Amino acid sequence: MVWPLTPVRPLPLSPSMIQLFHVSKYYDRRVALSDVTLEIEKGEFVLLMGPSGAGKSTLLKLLIGAERPEEGQILIQGRSLSKLRSSEIPLLRRKVGVVLQDFRLLPKKTVFDNVSLPLLVQGASTAEIRRKVAEALRAVGLDHKKDHVPSGLSTGEQQRICIARAIVNGPIMLLADEPTGNLDPELTSEIIDLFKSINARGTTIIVATHDPNVLAQVSRRVITLDQGRVVSQEQVCS
Amino acid sequence: MFVRRLLYLLREAVANVLTNRTTTVVAVATTAFTFACVGVFLLLYVNLRAMASSLEQDIEVMVYLQDDLTEQMRREIEQQLKADRAVGSLTFVSKERALADFQTQFPSESHLLQGLGQNPLPASFVITFAVESRSSEAMQRWATRAQSISGVTQVQYNQEWVEALAGMVRYIEVAAIIVGVILSAASVTIIANTIRLALYSRREEIEILGLIGASTTFIRVPYLLEGAALGLLGSALSLVILKAGFELFRHEIRSASRFLGVDALLTFFPLDMCLVLVCVGLFLGCAGSFLSLLRFGEGRV
Repeated sequence: MVWPLTPVRPLPLSPSMIQLFHVSKYYDRRVALSDVTLEIEKGEFVLLMGPSGAGKSTLLKLLIGAERPEEGQILIQGRSLSKLRSSEIPLLRRKVGVVLQDFRLLPKKTVFDNVSLPLLVQGASTAEIRRKVAEALRAVGLDHKKDHVPSGLSTGEQQRICIARAIVNGPIMLLADEPTGNLDPELTSEIIDLFKSINARGTTIIVATHDPNVLAQVSRRVITLDQGRVVSQEQVCS
Repeated sequence: MFVRRLLYLLREAVANVLTNRTTTVVAVATTAFTFACVGVFLLLYVNLRAMASSLEQDIEVMVYLQDDLTEQMRREIEQQLKADRAVGSLTFVSKERALADFQTQFPSESHLLQGLGQNPLPASFVITFAVESRSSEAMQRWATRAQSISGVTQVQYNQEWVEALAGMVRYIEVAAIIVGVILSAASVTIIANTIRLALYSRREEIEILGLIGASTTFIRVPYLLEGAALGLLGSALSLVILKAGFELFRHEIRSASRFLGVDALLTFFPLDMCLVLVCVGLFLGCAGSFLSLLRFGEGRV
């Protein structure tokens, strides 16, 4: 089964990658997101800003089907996530790259094995895996470290491996949750440059962060959340 | 493509086992022990069944005839008995032959009969039953029927003994089923707990696999394989333990002179039954893994 790239029910004049309509999410009656409506277009680079507990991570979880909203509707490329069957969620995730603050690399596997994992789970051939992993590692500048294990790499390198894993199967969008949370300002700059180059190839990127260093380097659209509500959406020019 | 994924899943299953070496060894040993306990009952059942079947073959029914029967009437009774499907074999024992047998078997008592002047022993047919008619109920029904044949004075066989043997086999059968079910459930629980430990120790990896779009099957297969391997190893080891115990027991029986010849009656599980037991172990292992995976709820990362 293939995740349909064309909408099942195309919305009129909708080039949007992501659309949220009045989305609310609660955890034990505590509001995580409240009546969020927003739209992110294909190829956009969006920063989700806000303090801890603002709902940034919850929003990202909703976008990969890890959580379901209590209210509202989420469309990815025009297809409603609420209509996805459980067995279709892995197919969605194969089209979405995810980068997390704590990297989530497999410590006992080599860099090559870590990066090849998304290709392996979808049944790519050996030749395709070799080619795509080499491309992804080149893109993050770590092709010479493919035989290392994550523990032998610096934190910046580990985050770049995580990004390589997220982009290895050419995702339609890349979601990053506090990707620079464990990095110093210099490494933060490296990672943001990497995101920019990935975005330049057409991948939609959403970065959730409360790091002002990221904001300073990105002249893109910023969506600010607070207590689960969208409080502002603005185009930032640094 | 498929081979690469399969190799990956197999590698992961082996890695699971190696990561939790101690837990795996303990699980295999405990599973082997519980399977061996079930095996003891099964072995007892199989041997008693074989013995019962062998002894049932030896059970003979005596159909005693009236003294004043003509040759023609005796032949008619013989034809009637032979036509019965329950009858496996039939031998006629004349009055003279009965007397000769008595004198051979009980030489010291033969003077008792001499004092009577004439041969008091009746002629008879000695009957063994066809395999399908050897149950105590079938024998009883047949004896009642034979008793009503004209010219037959008495039908005799050791009914109590046949019923006691059948009852004992039934009792062992029920005990084997009960013990088997309880200990199989224990084995499933042991394997389920081992797999649960493996799942918790690799929780993060499972989350990562979920995030990158691994299907539920892809995540589950290594753990199902691990459970199957534990069940298979446990049941195979239990057979080794049982075989060793069985041979030791047979050796002891052989050396004890009062059980002379009994050791030849003892049998271990035939090869096909061993294979079935190993497959049962494998299935129970898979069931244990499946239970743990359901409780763990992977794939909902």
